[in-house]
Amino acid sequence: MRRKTSFFVILILLLSPFFGDVAFAQVQVRVRVMEASNVGSGFDSSLRDLHDQLGSLFSFSSYRLLKDENVSLSSNQPVSLSIPPERSLELTLINQHRVTAEIRVRITRQGRELLTTLVRLAPGRSVSIGGPKRGEGTIITALSRPQ
Amino acid sequence: MKRECSSISRLLEKYFDQEVTPEERSLVEGHLPDCSACRMALDTMQNLRILIKNPVEEAVEKETFPWVWEKIEKGIQRKERPGLWNFLKSWLDVTPLLKRKILIPAVAAVVIVILITAPLLYKKMSSYPGPSVVEYVESETYNVMVYELETPQVTVIWLFEDPEEESSTS
Amino acid sequence: MDVNEAQLISRCQQGDQEALEEIFNQYHQKLYRIAYGVVRHREEALDIVQEVFIKLFRSIHQFKGKSRFYTYLYRMTMNTAIDHTRKMKKAPSLSMDEEEGFQLSDDADRRPDRILDHKELEARVKWAMDQLSPDQKAALIFREIEGLSYQEIAEATGCSIGTVMSRLHYGRKKVQELLKDYVGRGEVL
Repeated sequence: MRRKTSFFVILILLLSPFFGDVAFAQVQVRVRVMEASNVGSGFDSSLRDLHDQLGSLFSFSSYRLLKDENVSLSSNQPVSLSIPPERSLELTLINQHRVTAEIRVRITRQGRELLTTLVRLAPGRSVSIGGPKRGEGTIITALSRPQ
Repeated sequence: MKRECSSISRLLEKYFDQEVTPEERSLVEGHLPDCSACRMALDTMQNLRILIKNPVEEAVEKETFPWVWEKIEKGIQRKERPGLWNFLKSWLDVTPLLKRKILIPAVAAVVIVILITAPLLYKKMSSYPGPSVVEYVESETYNVMVYELETPQVTVIWLFEDPEEESSTS
Repeated sequence: MDVNEAQLISRCQQGDQEALEEIFNQYHQKLYRIAYGVVRHREEALDIVQEVFIKLFRSIHQFKGKSRFYTYLYRMTMNTAIDHTRKMKKAPSLSMDEEEGFQLSDDADRRPDRILDHKELEARVKWAMDQLSPDQKAALIFREIEGLSYQEIAEATGCSIGTVMSRLHYGRKKVQELLKDYVGRGEVL
């Protein structure tokens, strides 16, 4: 009985990718830009869900929200928004597999490409891009998908 | 070199490594003031030790061990996954079927399913090779480091700025 | 082994990762020192340290307390580092002067009296140490870098004290000969 079960499990596994791909019309992505520094202390309430994540990696004492925007991404249609310091963030939905969205992220400044990355975002997951300095602080851009 | 050097020389390294008995120490220390060759040999050993040791000490002193523990945790979790795989394998083990007369129909059914689904499988699976969140990163401007932790689920792409680059382009 | 360390090891053997982290906090610098002594390359040494602690967590149930724990760790580190250098030697792109594009000057041999660049000297020391057998290199590193006694080296390398002394003697002799222009002449040896 167990062997027959395992045989059918193999069949189902072989067939499952055929049924696994569901196309969504649009994907919602939340873009939050924050300034992290060791000047002062505190964590903006809008960044509460990122608190544990960022706190486990960084030792900044203060995280101040600069920008909070929701964007809707359609397949292969770039969406741009400005982010400090004087940069442009372009998001393009490349592909989707079940609930995971493949998003190309480009950061440019005055037309010059600084960074290109391809990330996979599932609901509840976030990717942060950080490093550029602004005064005493460091700019971190967090991309996340609502649950 | 003096005649007694031949007997003392066997003790010189032990003396240098502080592994001599009190009697041996007295012998060596009684001999050294009168023997420049043995003193030079000790200096040579000391110089060699400095050459070997100093760069290592400098490296250790300035090392901050960034993310080392986090990578160890991740490595341990990765290596723990085979337990689950072994469990699945035991359920998916169909070798007893090969001993029975259902082999031919079973193989035929599997081949047909593979022929139908292989092109789709290849297309889907090649897009999603693994669980990693960051597929690739390209930057001609920054040095980039990617940090991925499982607990908590964190993915960070960190850009290391070159101050000269920033001042020249801002 | 003190009681605290015995408890840590016992907890680690039961899969307690916090215990491993405490062991890591206590030993990672020492193990890095050994790894760096072998490979003389920061990233490789860090990789070795990571690998050692992952291996340790998987194999610590095999530690029965017959040797001291730190000599057990040192042996694991040295073996891992030497395996690492063997693998790196097989990689065709690697050479002694590969790190950060650094190149040994062609005339370094002909001009020992000039003041060598710090990195060049380090490269030469690494090269000289790489000419030793793994056993001689291990003995030299344990003695010169970590300051272990002959007894401790014997425990860490699984040989007798006499063998340790022999490896140290011939190892030092060979390295001194290869670096004779920088350490002086050791005629007694």
